[in-house]
Amino acid sequence: MRRKVMMSVFVALLAFLILCPLLSIFAEAVFQDGIFSLGPAIATIRESENAAMIGSSLLLGLLVVITSSVIALPLAYIFSRTQLARYRFFDVIFMIPFMTPPYIASMGWILFMQKRGLMQQLFPSLSFITDHFFSLGGLVLVMSFHVFPFMMTMMKNAMLSVPSSLDEAGAVLGATFPTRLRKLFMPLLTGNYAIGALLVFVKTISEYGTPSTLGRRIGFEVFTTDIHRYATVAPIEFGKSASLASVLVGICLLIWMLQNYITMKKTYSLIGGKGGAMHIRKLSPPALAAAVAFIVLVIFFSMVIPLFSVISSSLINLRGYGFRSGNFTLGNYVRLFTEDNQGTGALAVSIFLAISSASIAAILGTLIVMAIRRTGRRTGQAIEAMALLPEMLPSIVLVLGIMLFYNAIYKLIPIYGTIWIMVLSYVILFLPYTVQYVSSSYSQISHSLLAAGRVSGGSPAYVFIHVTLPLISRGIISGWMMTFIIAFRELVTPSLIAPTNTLTVSTYIIRQFEQGSVGKGMSMAVICILFSTVSLLFLNKVILRKRH
Amino acid sequence: MKKGLIILALLIAVSSAFAADADKGIVTVYMPSPAGLANKLAADFEAKTGIEVRTFQGTTGEILARLETEKANPVADVVILASWSDGLSMKDSGQLESYVPENADKMVEGWIDEDSMLFGYSASAVGVIYNTLIYPTLDADWDALADPAYKNDIAIPDPELSGACKDFVAGYVNAFGWDTFEALAANGMVVPGANRAALDAVTTGEVGVLIAGVDYNAYSSMADGEPLSIYYPASGTVVNPRPAMIMKTAPDMDNAKAFIDYLLSDDAQKMVTEAYLLPGRSDIEYSNRSTLDEIPQIPCDWDAMMAISTDSAARINELCER
Repeated sequence: MRRKVMMSVFVALLAFLILCPLLSIFAEAVFQDGIFSLGPAIATIRESENAAMIGSSLLLGLLVVITSSVIALPLAYIFSRTQLARYRFFDVIFMIPFMTPPYIASMGWILFMQKRGLMQQLFPSLSFITDHFFSLGGLVLVMSFHVFPFMMTMMKNAMLSVPSSLDEAGAVLGATFPTRLRKLFMPLLTGNYAIGALLVFVKTISEYGTPSTLGRRIGFEVFTTDIHRYATVAPIEFGKSASLASVLVGICLLIWMLQNYITMKKTYSLIGGKGGAMHIRKLSPPALAAAVAFIVLVIFFSMVIPLFSVISSSLINLRGYGFRSGNFTLGNYVRLFTEDNQGTGALAVSIFLAISSASIAAILGTLIVMAIRRTGRRTGQAIEAMALLPEMLPSIVLVLGIMLFYNAIYKLIPIYGTIWIMVLSYVILFLPYTVQYVSSSYSQISHSLLAAGRVSGGSPAYVFIHVTLPLISRGIISGWMMTFIIAFRELVTPSLIAPTNTLTVSTYIIRQFEQGSVGKGMSMAVICILFSTVSLLFLNKVILRKRH
Repeated sequence: MKKGLIILALLIAVSSAFAADADKGIVTVYMPSPAGLANKLAADFEAKTGIEVRTFQGTTGEILARLETEKANPVADVVILASWSDGLSMKDSGQLESYVPENADKMVEGWIDEDSMLFGYSASAVGVIYNTLIYPTLDADWDALADPAYKNDIAIPDPELSGACKDFVAGYVNAFGWDTFEALAANGMVVPGANRAALDAVTTGEVGVLIAGVDYNAYSSMADGEPLSIYYPASGTVVNPRPAMIMKTAPDMDNAKAFIDYLLSDDAQKMVTEAYLLPGRSDIEYSNRSTLDEIPQIPCDWDAMMAISTDSAARINELCER
């Protein structure tokens, strides 16, 4: 009985944290002065500029899916089935574009490509590219170079799971390589590809960083930028913002359902008991050269250009003179910390938010996983669905909901306009990471271990502390670190609900880029990238390598 | 599970304590750039009075949006904008408190409204800012910049984000009509963003000329050694007093009044001139920029300008959309 009460309190708490903000978006969209009406919401969606925006968001998603496939599929093949698959360090290298915050990468591209920017200073003959870059094409390219590692990893793992015996059987029966690719590989991988493509699509239409920097430059409005604009620039129109957010939620949920359907119907279990041996394909020298050239090209575009551009902009003294000997300085880094206390303040706020949200999410996430394991199937599924919901929805939608909800209940819980609403928002946004990491390590624990603990006389608390906790600690730590890294550079929450006097690393960079000193902004960007990369390496090398 | 609940309860308790504490000895000020000046004023006021200053810094557009969001739970005591006409419309909608600050009698004529609600403690003017590596000298009037010689090489700050630019557009259109802006737009004028982004575009040479750029930003970049120069075209510009205002809903009314008094004090006015802005008091001397009487001005009918400013700003963005 007591457990049942606890469990319902728990479900209510999650519903309060995650569902209420979402519901307040729908309420804002359909209630006008307390009267239910779908009219204004539908009118908003049918406004010609909003309809055009919805069209261009979907077009952007589609184009990014196509472009990132063109980048990711060859790489996935190269790194799963050719002799280059041996070089595992590429796994880490291709994490870099995915780990670089998208707003920083697109600032790097802007600084590189703009008229009389870095590219034109270095290679004046290439200046004709500039006009072509500041277009939808450029936006698609930048977003694809951010998101492709995601699809690459998925497809690589899928390809690795196709046993070579199938390929060999095809070859023995006389099928040429292109035929085997078409008749064998492609049908087996269609399901996986569809899932990857849908995920890339959702990620693209949910992304705020790139559209808000590069997209704004070229006047390309998408869902996220419009939701943000209606909620933050005078005249404020929360109703419109909420209507668009509701449509976006609908699209995302539809895609997740489709993805779920495909997973059930179109994926094949290829790993049997036999453990299919993997034969790598030895590429001919010209093919090898082409593969290496392709890898180099992708690295150049996805990493070298944006990083080079960000780093060199952080070192340029007078922007009016650009690349010129004597015009390089470390002064921007010095001024970042000494000129005023905003730079250090932003770092302190981001570190505080990252640590506090990671810790709260770790505790809450662990409790959620334990609750899921210990309760009935129905309740468990409900809890899990709620806890994972934030990952399926665009963060801008959730943050808008949090903003509306806590504004409405300010009299009850006065945290709107304080730093605590940011902590809360971060916890909600990043809770799924902890839940997934802890859940996967929890599922590896055999029940007999816990039973042994109980039989030997340990109280439930004792068994938890001495048996369960040590076994799931790696999951908790990984979840903590991932949350820490991602929270450190989070952009959407602070740009919507940061209280007065509060800048984070991300809003500091954007503010400096748009209204202050580009040099200082880019110095902070370099610090942010270093911080993420070092944390990730630390996670990989130190924590995850330790074996129990 | 208990642990989670306890933590949540603690979180709520701490945060409400935090919010309750906020009622003593603070003043919340929303102010536009330059950030350096805002920080210095806040620090100096804190040192002198012991009242903590909480600032929110943003463009005029962002500040207005924030006020609107917080309508149900007002936070701001003092609001400073970079646009006199936006200040007047706040007064029109009854959001402002009247007060006669110290030193009000020493202010530049017209920089305090007749109801004593808007205090133009500083001012900026917009001018033509150009990159000296591209144009060694330049003194063309506004309409002359529509010449094909400057095709695709002219920028304007986004008047929906920059209050100073917004007021200039309203003033210019009110006096001379739309011909010049239409011709400039047809000549490939671009809108790179708010003031600073627009200045950055001309600093890096992305464009050669920035029209309606705020002058204090340019003076400060020129002092750093950037290859820039500024002039005020002969047919005149808009000098834009930056209104500091007390909100009727100010949670800390006395502190808000003290802050306004401080803004008009000798020390604060000196800091204003150090940020290359025009001081709000006529008895303050400065030599680091063009003085008020050196700037040719368009005669301003602020009420007429306020009526058209928002629509004109939107029109500029429409004209320049490509």
